[in-house]
Amino acid sequence: MTERVLAVLAGVVATAGLVAVGALPVPVLVLSLPFLVVLARRPVLRRLAVRNAVRRPRETLLVLLGSLLGTAIITSSFIVGDTLNASLRRSAFTQLGPVDEIAPVLGAEAGAEVEAALRSLPPDLVDGVVTVLTAPGSVATPGANPRAEPSATVLEVDFERGRAFGGDPDATGLEGPMPGTDEIAVGRDIADTLDVDEGDTVDLYLYGAKLSLRVVRVLPRLGLAGLHLEFGSESPNVFVQPGTLTRLAAASTIPASPPTAVVAVSNAGGVLEGAERTDEVAAAMREALDGRPVSVNEVKRDRLELAQESGEQFTQLFTSIGFFSVIAGILLLVNIFVMLAEERKTELGMLRAVGLRRTGLVGSFSVEGWMYALASAALGTVVGLGLGRIIAGVAASIFGQGDFALELHYAATLSSVQTAFTIGFVISLVTILGTSFRIARLNVIRAIRDLPEQEGGRRQRVLGAIAAAVVVVVGGVFFAGSVANDDPYGVLIGPALAAAGVVRLTHNLLPRRAVVTAAAGAALVWALVAFEVLPDAFEDGDITIFVVQGLILTFTAVAMVSTNQDGIGAVVRRLGGGASSMALRLGLAYPLARRFRTAMILGMYSLVVFTLTFITVFSHLFSGQVDGFTRRISGGFDLRVASNTSNPVPADAVRALPGVTDVAEQAVVTAEWLATTTDGGFQPWPVASFDETFLRAGPVALLERHPRYPDDEAAYRAVLADPSLVIVSEFFLQEGGGPPDRPVEVGDRIEMRDPLSGRTRTLTVAAQAEAGFGNLLAYVSRPVLEETFGASVTTNLLFVGVAEGTDPVALSDSVNGRFLANGADAESFREIVNENLSQQQQFFRLMQGYLALGLVVGIAGLGVVMVRAVRERRRQVGVLRSLGFQAAAVRRAFMVESSFVALEGIVIGVVLANVVAWRLVGSDTFGESLTFTVPWGQLLLLVLATFAASLLATVAPAQQASKIRPAVALRITD
Amino acid sequence: MRPSPTTAASAPAAGDGILVARGVRKTYRTGAESVDALKDIDLAVAAGQFVAVMGPSGSGKTTLLNCLSGLDDIDAGEIVVDDEPIHRMSDARRTRHRASSMGFIFQAFNLIPVFTAIENVELPLLLAGADAKAARTAAHETLARVGLGHRLHHRPTELSGGEQQRVTIARALAGRPRIVWADEPTGNLDSETATQVMDLLRELHAEGLTLLLVTHDDDIGSSAQRRIVVRDGVIVADEALR
Ligand SMILES: Nc1ncnc2c1ncn2[C@@H]1O[C@H](COP(=O)(O)OP(=O)(O)OP(=O)(O)O)[C@@H](O)[C@H]1O
Ligand SMILES: [Mg+2]
Repeated sequence: MTERVLAVLAGVVATAGLVAVGALPVPVLVLSLPFLVVLARRPVLRRLAVRNAVRRPRETLLVLLGSLLGTAIITSSFIVGDTLNASLRRSAFTQLGPVDEIAPVLGAEAGAEVEAALRSLPPDLVDGVVTVLTAPGSVATPGANPRAEPSATVLEVDFERGRAFGGDPDATGLEGPMPGTDEIAVGRDIADTLDVDEGDTVDLYLYGAKLSLRVVRVLPRLGLAGLHLEFGSESPNVFVQPGTLTRLAAASTIPASPPTAVVAVSNAGGVLEGAERTDEVAAAMREALDGRPVSVNEVKRDRLELAQESGEQFTQLFTSIGFFSVIAGILLLVNIFVMLAEERKTELGMLRAVGLRRTGLVGSFSVEGWMYALASAALGTVVGLGLGRIIAGVAASIFGQGDFALELHYAATLSSVQTAFTIGFVISLVTILGTSFRIARLNVIRAIRDLPEQEGGRRQRVLGAIAAAVVVVVGGVFFAGSVANDDPYGVLIGPALAAAGVVRLTHNLLPRRAVVTAAAGAALVWALVAFEVLPDAFEDGDITIFVVQGLILTFTAVAMVSTNQDGIGAVVRRLGGGASSMALRLGLAYPLARRFRTAMILGMYSLVVFTLTFITVFSHLFSGQVDGFTRRISGGFDLRVASNTSNPVPADAVRALPGVTDVAEQAVVTAEWLATTTDGGFQPWPVASFDETFLRAGPVALLERHPRYPDDEAAYRAVLADPSLVIVSEFFLQEGGGPPDRPVEVGDRIEMRDPLSGRTRTLTVAAQAEAGFGNLLAYVSRPVLEETFGASVTTNLLFVGVAEGTDPVALSDSVNGRFLANGADAESFREIVNENLSQQQQFFRLMQGYLALGLVVGIAGLGVVMVRAVRERRRQVGVLRSLGFQAAAVRRAFMVESSFVALEGIVIGVVLANVVAWRLVGSDTFGESLTFTVPWGQLLLLVLATFAASLLATVAPAQQASKIRPAVALRITD
Repeated sequence: MRPSPTTAASAPAAGDGILVARGVRKTYRTGAESVDALKDIDLAVAAGQFVAVMGPSGSGKTTLLNCLSGLDDIDAGEIVVDDEPIHRMSDARRTRHRASSMGFIFQAFNLIPVFTAIENVELPLLLAGADAKAARTAAHETLARVGLGHRLHHRPTELSGGEQQRVTIARALAGRPRIVWADEPTGNLDSETATQVMDLLRELHAEGLTLLLVTHDDDIGSSAQRRIVVRDGVIVADEALR
């Protein structure tokens, strides 16, 4: 009595405490209430559940391990998203600070005028307006071997006024004195790149001039000091004495665009809260600007939204891939629970006999399950936090490379942890409850004698048939409706549903094996070819559709294999030496007889092997394409030379270099775009001009062009001739990760706007070009660019062809050195592709590592199932030994059993994944640039490693089985 | 040395019979406790003899059978079956020996649930190295012999208790063993089925089989050629009946 009161009290106090600190999510509490009631009110059930759970601590631990991985995977997916979100949000502080909106214009004078107009904004809405003048420049240490930053941003701001901007001087990052004549304040990132400190001298190149300046201050990457409006976590900023930029621009002898005046507005409120008033402030700004051709950019809110979206996309990506492992975990849990029930069959039958009602049975089982679910969700969350940290760490090192390096900082929010905990808990609970009900419904006698469940009465048969017919109809209607609406999910799921219904409907009329094989086979083939038969439906499917496809494929394959196990077993037996090999015969007999269990393990293995193989095949496809990609994005050129608009590399100087054969001149500016499909108004995206030379060796490959143009070159020539045409890249106007979903189609009309002057122009999309590897530009003719963007258009990007025998890498090094003052950034196309591919490969490795977790679930699951199988069969092993079965043969039989199932699963997964990848490459989802090849070496390694690990997981239980002493085993009464 | 309670049978000597046990001891140890289940057992059984082993529950009958057949290890003494000291053999050899010359029948029928009746019966034949076809034929014949020619392809769960026990008997006999060990083969059967099973065993014995059978049933015990009574791990009576 006191024990019970104490237990309940402890439970109540603990739960209340957890809820109070917000650690236990409310849904978990609500779902747990019925179980708490049972625990408190039903002593028999409580005793049964608790004793069963603690009776075999080792096996309880295995159950927990099996079910915690699902929660761990979900938790880590959320954390990866949190990390990306937080890292991007962090840039709202480091690269914007008090800045909420900007109105950029060309030239200091225009800036002053806009600032004056914005001074009238009401102070309750806005707590600061300040103008920052910027121009691109290069900085380098003086001397023979300079350390340099070719793409630095040179800024000017009145430090006094800058500090007063927004409510909090510390948030602006503007510390110390404003640089005076011959002085410069450098940002932390520049100081690190150049390895300079206060007192050192640096050379600054811009507008054709070279200034030698003394570093008076190293500024933090924060607020205005860290102001950075483009990609990347670094802010390569330097601050000079106000007036410098205008003076240099005026004196410049080379064609260059004047400095940009960024008029920044700070909303009332802090760095994050201020953004909530963006709509109000932006409207007030537009009103104050009173028809001036100036655009208002909501930079802070955009940045926060990007953070949110990218984080969510990342979570989705990882949850989607992790989903296969989660399902594998569920299958394992079901299997373990069914085995537990089988072990306790006699015990359960006896309890029923002494008066425990069926609901009581469910009660005891599900209370036990609830305890497992709660414990595994809690453990899984902890493991997931660690896992997330590992993934974030690996991802940080991948994203930290390249020109637009992103700094990742591990972050986990309480709400993510709670959500993951809840999802993990609910998945385990639902699985366990479902299994418990199923077990309790079993006829006890049948269960004890291990007979298949009998059909219900006539009434039940009729009801079953009606239900099956309904499923068939629903599947059909779902399919038809989805085809009409181009919904990819119904197109895949509908036929699979209908097939399941047909199996159920005909299982009394037609031979089951034939029906299952035919129906599952049809659903499988459909899931494979649906992409090609109905391409429209899959046009803008995201990654979840691949998950659905993978699940349907593996489940139908498992269904086919499971119903034909006898045939497969017979073939294996024949191959393995006929009936005389007793170990083989016995090893096959169990999986063939225990259909349900075998199907569960098979499903688990197939799923994880499928995803692992798929990623492996895909990573291989991309890795082998350096030549192809280089050819397609280079347009036959060898080098790409980018430079500062304030001091561009002269094209003629590059033409004059030894080994250079061609130079195609391009001008790149950042435009703003409006397409019918883009929400949120104009979006920034770079646009470039090109000329005849660009088409010299077959231009950058097109993915899709208007049927009017016979070939790629014709499309480019049309753009040169017709000022109303534009060629966009495949990634045009897209942010974040995930597969491309092309918001713009060939033939669409889109608007292009100059953010500085506000001039707009309507263009028609003539074609879509190959994207990726830094090739993101939209292309128009030079006159179109100049008419729209005016003075800021200057040649700042060169495509350079080299003569045979000239090494592009050596040439790019020499260009970078020679044109340091121009901020030259030369790189060979092959290098670009190589770097990108290697980064992509690293990401694929990360995915593989993540998926390997599922494999751990599978292999551990197989081990658990074998351990339990040995326990169940001790007595039978005793009999076999008494009949003359050798100990070694017992061990071999168990090894045969597990390797048979593992091999089947491996074969299903590997074959399916290759077929899917092959079909996918064949369809034009990924363009024509990929050719399918099987990575035999890697697959062999994967198969062998998986198989070896499976065997290893079975060695211990098999060894244990062989050690069973017959005289002892025969005494076991079960 | 304790005086032997043996009355009817002579003291065992080598070459005396198919089975000779001398000074056999068996002690079960569980933690701190130990149970002397067999204390200095001496026993000789001639080929073709039908021996019933009786005694109260817990007296050591099953232990005796398991030790004599080599299923269990012993702590002292020696057991010779077919002129072979079985406890000096390696486990693998002992197992082969079992496969080639012994058959077992248990109270709980102990069939392999994933095998059909005929597969269960041919199991020991295949283990003894018979060729697959011959094993199948012999298994079929033996099952017909025990009256189950029509149940060849049923799984154990699809058979009645009596039928299962007859499959077990068929399995014990199919390999034509020289000696069969039966531990309460009728313990789980109704009296009519039990009589059928015993009739079958007696028939087989009449054909020359050596049979050691543990039973609680006095009628069965008195139908044997020789009856041994075990109490507290000691043979307290050993009488020839016919
Ligand atoms: N594994 C074991 N560990 C400890 N003691 C054991 C073990 N097996 C049997 N015993 C003990 O050994 C003694 C003999 O057991 P045994 O099973 O041989 O008796 P039995 O005569 O066959 O009884 P029954 O007629 O009930 O089957 C008993 O006291 C039993 O408790
Ligand atoms: Mg006994």
